[in-house]
Amino acid sequence: MKQSSINKYSLAIAVLTLASFASMLPAGAEDSVTVNISLKDHRFQPAELHAPANKPIMIIVKNLDPAPAEFESNMLRVEKVVTGGGTITLRIRPLEPGRYRFFDDFHQETQGYLVVQ
Amino acid sequence: MFFRCLARFRASRRLAALFVSVDFDLRESVDELILSCIPRRNNFTSYVFVGAALLCLGITNSARAEDTAFHEAESKYMFGFIDGADIGNEGEKAIEFETTGAFQKRGGSYSAVEQELEFEHVPTQYFAYELSAHATAHSISGVEGLDDINQTAFSGASAKLRYLIIGRGPGSPIGLTISAEPEWSRIDGTDGTQTQDYSTDFRIVADTELIPNRLYAAFNVSYVPETAKGAGDPNWQNSSGLGLSTALAYRITPTVAAGAALEYDRAYDGLAFQTFDGHALYLGPTLQINFSPKMLLAAAFMAQVAGHAADDPRALDLTNFSQYRANLKFEVEF
Repeated sequence: MKQSSINKYSLAIAVLTLASFASMLPAGAEDSVTVNISLKDHRFQPAELHAPANKPIMIIVKNLDPAPAEFESNMLRVEKVVTGGGTITLRIRPLEPGRYRFFDDFHQETQGYLVVQ
Repeated sequence: MFFRCLARFRASRRLAALFVSVDFDLRESVDELILSCIPRRNNFTSYVFVGAALLCLGITNSARAEDTAFHEAESKYMFGFIDGADIGNEGEKAIEFETTGAFQKRGGSYSAVEQELEFEHVPTQYFAYELSAHATAHSISGVEGLDDINQTAFSGASAKLRYLIIGRGPGSPIGLTISAEPEWSRIDGTDGTQTQDYSTDFRIVADTELIPNRLYAAFNVSYVPETAKGAGDPNWQNSSGLGLSTALAYRITPTVAAGAALEYDRAYDGLAFQTFDGHALYLGPTLQINFSPKMLLAAAFMAQVAGHAADDPRALDLTNFSQYRANLKFEVEF
């Protein structure tokens, strides 16, 4: 097989790889809903957040404790460290109705729910 | 005979009552009820019924415990060689040590062990990638069709791109991911000789929870085109692989999952399945242990249980595949 043939096959494999991910980026930003939550004494306040379904959600997490925390949710598919006294913002994709659990990965008993309706 | 049937009917009613009482959360009385069955029906059938009842009770009680101990778990590595559809959480970064071994071919002794060092990152809620460096160790002696070799070498690099199409969760019982894993190799993975090898593992991955947060099932379809040229060989050889696989994993505790996987592979000459080379069916157990929220170990072993190579009437395809496979992943998030 000639060099041009291998180039052709390599190119075909590369194009297939890239084509698989052509639609990788999510849809463009829409009007998002902002919800606020704070962490104090290793508890989420409020422990239950509410947000509308099928709209992007922005969660602002304020850590009022001196210790760092990690806001994490396997259902929301996010994790981010928030330093003691710090604030983070998490952008969540539009969600189906349901209860989505989140927790502090550094203190796993600290948990709350985002209720999407 | 009549009294025996009557007794069996009464035992059945007791068992029916047992399930009803489980539904109404009267589990304390259920335990007494099960125990009361044992002395009255002292035969094998009764013990089978009671055993089944205890098993069902255990599963039911376990399912009830999901709100307390068994929270949602990531399925990515739960199924051993088979991928789960979860890609991780946005913001996640991890280092992973992955060891994959292939053992035993026809005649002599054969072992090919690949060690990967991987960096994983999940930049968005839909996309994750892994970058890997590979080293291989081959120990081959007296194997039919292969030269003896004993060497360890840096063997190549790969990247794995994963895109989540459907996330498992409220509104969707099924998770669906596509992935592509292009790889460059300078050492042939089978015989350990020098080569130039380019391949990509394209994969469709689906999974679901048969029992929420406890019993998981996954299904993979893979297509692997490959082109390779041995050192000093002027010709490139094209080949392709097709794989269908499925697995079940059950979380025994919140941090330990065990299961079984079944994989069917076909090997071809040509990028588009031109000539059939052989096929193999693998079966084996899987295990995942989460030592902490940031550290996990996943292990899998598979044995070829059926298959044959083209033009070879002997059982098992030990020309294109090995008899045994093992995989070990150790991941640390940071």
